Amino acid sequence: MNSRQSRADTGMGVSCIVSTVIHLTVFLLLLWWGKLFPVNMVVQETYYVDVVNLPVADPRAGSPVQKGNEAEISPPPPVIPPREMSLPEKAKQGATPAKPDAKTAKSPDANADAALDERIAKIARSAEARREEAVLERLRSKLKTSGSGRSGMPAAGGTEQGSDYTAYIQSRLKDAFRNTISYSSKNPEMIVRLFIDSSGKLSRRVSERSSGDRAFELAVMRAIDMASEKFPPPPGKKLFEGVFVFKPQGITPTRGK
Amino acid sequence: MALLTGTGLIVKIVLLILIGFSVVSWAIIMFKLFQVHRANSESVRFMDFFWKSKRFDAIASQVDRFASSPLTVLFNEGYGELKKVVEGGGVSEGSALSTDLGGVENVSRALRRATNSEITRLEKYLTFLATTGSTSPFIGLFGTVWGIMTAFEGIGRTGSASLAVVAPGIAEALIATAIGLVAAIPAVMAYNHFQHKIRVLIKEMDNFSTEFLNIVQRNIAGK
Repeated sequence: MNSRQSRADTGMGVSCIVSTVIHLTVFLLLLWWGKLFPVNMVVQETYYVDVVNLPVADPRAGSPVQKGNEAEISPPPPVIPPREMSLPEKAKQGATPAKPDAKTAKSPDANADAALDERIAKIARSAEARREEAVLERLRSKLKTSGSGRSGMPAAGGTEQGSDYTAYIQSRLKDAFRNTISYSSKNPEMIVRLFIDSSGKLSRRVSERSSGDRAFELAVMRAIDMASEKFPPPPGKKLFEGVFVFKPQGITPTRGK
Repeated sequence: MALLTGTGLIVKIVLLILIGFSVVSWAIIMFKLFQVHRANSESVRFMDFFWKSKRFDAIASQVDRFASSPLTVLFNEGYGELKKVVEGGGVSEGSALSTDLGGVENVSRALRRATNSEITRLEKYLTFLATTGSTSPFIGLFGTVWGIMTAFEGIGRTGSASLAVVAPGIAEALIATAIGLVAAIPAVMAYNHFQHKIRVLIKEMDNFSTEFLNIVQRNIAGK
């Protein structure tokens, strides 16, 4: 009987080892599941319009110009030659080259009226010319602008403080941060400097300051990784450098180049 | 992985306990599967051999071939006791046993004792499966409750109650219940399965004991 018991215990030891190996395998499989079988989720592209910094354009300037669509811009309106203002009937009659008659000769009042009409026509012509010149100038400047290419920011270069690129990056970070936020201290804070190269790829990220909350740091880094997947190239294909302050309340850019 | 690393100390301890329960449960499940399967198959083979054989001593010489069957233990015990009765009872070889059949009672007791010891052997470790099945969900629930308490405490400290702040803590806490259920469900299923299999083996042992005693009694009565 004793020999049977000892054989049974040996079998139990082997089973324990096999069970441990199986558990470790399952654990490692779960750990690497995401890497072995990446989930291909189609993420709908989100477009952001910086409403706060949207410049208020002249209503007559037309809709914002989309970069690359210059060919589709409607041609400037044809310049209508200034028309002579029609003179009153009386003046016309006065201008009729009729043989001057002593009785029908121009009176001083008629001459004054003609001069007034002439002056009014002249003022109208110059006003019309000024207006057309202004419209043409606006169209020319519109064609020359090298805006960011996104609607809503026709004239922004993307380099100004609070310009649309910084605001766009901030929005993307904020959106990603909303999904990853996690912290364990009371007022966590982290300042990160981001470098985005000309192709829109996040080339470097430097943690400038942190409150020391590890969970918050990880959440920030995850948010940056998530957001950086869809960064557009900076305006003018220049290197972008921006400093962002991450707090549970939100993200604020401190300065950007 | 982040779910596991982000949990607190108590939840981590709970998770370790549950993983330990699961490891041991699966070890018992595998061991019992092997043990019960071999016991069943060798019992069937032993019964075939038993009914084909004409003599107990011939069976006793071959019984080691069916070492995993509980019936062989019964046979060994019964045959050993029968030999003792025949040799030690002052009865000479070839003569009749005592007329009150006291020798048969001895064999019956030996078979009953062997049956009990085999039941104990077969049911060994099953109590652990029952314990795992009944307590693991509660241990997991304890971890979850503790984790949620900690998460709410953190929320109270930070003063923010957005979903983004609440959800990770709750998810980390719920993993304890999930692992508790993962440990408990197979344990309960295996416990019920083995209980049924062992009940069948006990019936077979009872039947074999009855048959063995009948043979012994027939032989004694025939002499």
